[in-house]
Amino acid sequence: MPSLKTRIASLALETPLLTASGTFGFGDEYASLMRLEGLGGLVVKTLTLKPRSGNPPPRLVETPAGMLNAIGLQNPGLKHFLKAELPHLQNRNIPLIISIAGDTEEEYVALAEALDRQTGIAALELNLSCPNVKKGGILFGTDVVILESLVSKVRSVWNKPLIAKLTPNVTAVADLARAAATGGADILSAINTLRGMVIDVATGRPLLGNRFGGLSGPAVRPVAVKMIYEIFEATKLPLIGMGGIMNTDDALQFIMAGATAVAVGTANFVEPQTIPQIAAGLNDYLEKAGLESLHELVGVAHD
Amino acid sequence: MKQCRALVRKLEEISPYFYYLTLEEPYLAQAAQPGQFLYLRVSTGLSPLLRRPFSVAGTSPAAGTVLLLFRRVGAGTDLLSCLQEGDRLDCLGPLGTPFTYYGSEPAVLLAGGVGVAPLLFLGESLLNGGKSVHLFYGAADATALLPVERFLSPGVLIHYITEDGSVGEQGKLPQAFQRALDRGLSPGELFACGPRPLLAVLARENGQWGYPLQVSLEENMACGVGACQGCSVLIQKDGETVYERVCREGPVFHSKEVVW
Repeated sequence: MPSLKTRIASLALETPLLTASGTFGFGDEYASLMRLEGLGGLVVKTLTLKPRSGNPPPRLVETPAGMLNAIGLQNPGLKHFLKAELPHLQNRNIPLIISIAGDTEEEYVALAEALDRQTGIAALELNLSCPNVKKGGILFGTDVVILESLVSKVRSVWNKPLIAKLTPNVTAVADLARAAATGGADILSAINTLRGMVIDVATGRPLLGNRFGGLSGPAVRPVAVKMIYEIFEATKLPLIGMGGIMNTDDALQFIMAGATAVAVGTANFVEPQTIPQIAAGLNDYLEKAGLESLHELVGVAHD
Repeated sequence: MKQCRALVRKLEEISPYFYYLTLEEPYLAQAAQPGQFLYLRVSTGLSPLLRRPFSVAGTSPAAGTVLLLFRRVGAGTDLLSCLQEGDRLDCLGPLGTPFTYYGSEPAVLLAGGVGVAPLLFLGESLLNGGKSVHLFYGAADATALLPVERFLSPGVLIHYITEDGSVGEQGKLPQAFQRALDRGLSPGELFACGPRPLLAVLARENGQWGYPLQVSLEENMACGVGACQGCSVLIQKDGETVYERVCREGPVFHSKEVVW
């Protein structure tokens, strides 16, 4: 009997299928539509130290085979999260991965320290697509020195698996992947959204309130698959692949490119059952291929 | 709220570009309340990718049907306009917070364009509750104005308004409503839906009128269930300005709380 059980770093998952941060809230929004326990892991929306109100609307617009969003990390902040969200998340029998972001290294570290004292959190994911306000607003994820420094500082206060989520908005993702590995990350995830914009021709102005947004959905998938392929060759760390996964074949592409697990984002909006459907599809695939586990497929696309 | 595959019972083009869609799904027919919406998967392909929200325009719990009214304006509604009787349509719903009726009569419904949809449902439901209901329904001209008396039981007092005067009273909705007030109409509560600029004018004028006014807002949406925060609008509550989700706290808001 094939099994979807997946081991990634020291994380043991029932399936390799996670939710992409920001697309599944804190889980409860989808609880009436699907069995959350069927998820391999729940990556919650990005948490910051202080509450963030987010960007002015419009915050999203559909694009060809995708969508552009600029939510602005709206979230209730750490204090509210610990009191109002973490308890119900801890009670679900599902690996919980907390995505964190900050304006400074200190904010990331403070979050990691506070979360390290909590039980029921399986891993931390660093959202690196945020400007470092002390370094002139350079995004944490786009500079190898800044990235390595941040990862190592969080590493020193966080004792469980640490995931660095790489941004695709860089020249050489492999360099950033190596920097995250040197900093002490256990797992790399990729990709975050691609930067883009839409102009409203009726007004001649940017359509999004924030002018720029992050592109996601099937439109970005070939870019994402290629980045996973490159990162797989650049580091030995296990990878979580994401970017426009809509179905089983899409998930398989990421696994074959080198991902041990995958995350589903935009597809949740279109079809809330996407993750359970892909789980069933992967199971069928393994049976037909006569394989025991998806681990046998990781990186097979490489020479 | 559930995900269901509703049966297309009837699709009728009631005037050029305007369609009336009858879906059979007993759960939705029972559960939907005026002001709530359904989130439809209009395509199984990648374009358009996201679901489309539509206010429920009416229900028939006995027949197990839900009614939607839409205008064909783009890729999503183009696809909907091609549905055939017997097709299945993937629906999430009912979603959102419905209108709250506090009990003062007459209830006055202020509708701009296809924004009339949720107000037809509300009007019918108030009428069935024995309440007195007025509908002020405005559009640019006769071609954009639907014969909504077809969708309402006798008893709702319908005031048609067109900007070019081709049907009903000539002018814009807020002015026509103002004239009705001048003639002695004394509303209990107001409910409005339509383009945002129209709602903003109504909200401003209501500063003078001073009636309880609820508005149904629209915003681009991704998840429809409150997870993504994509449809947030600025709301003022207890002296604080916060973002609230059109899909969850809305689409119905008290007009005085909306930051216009």
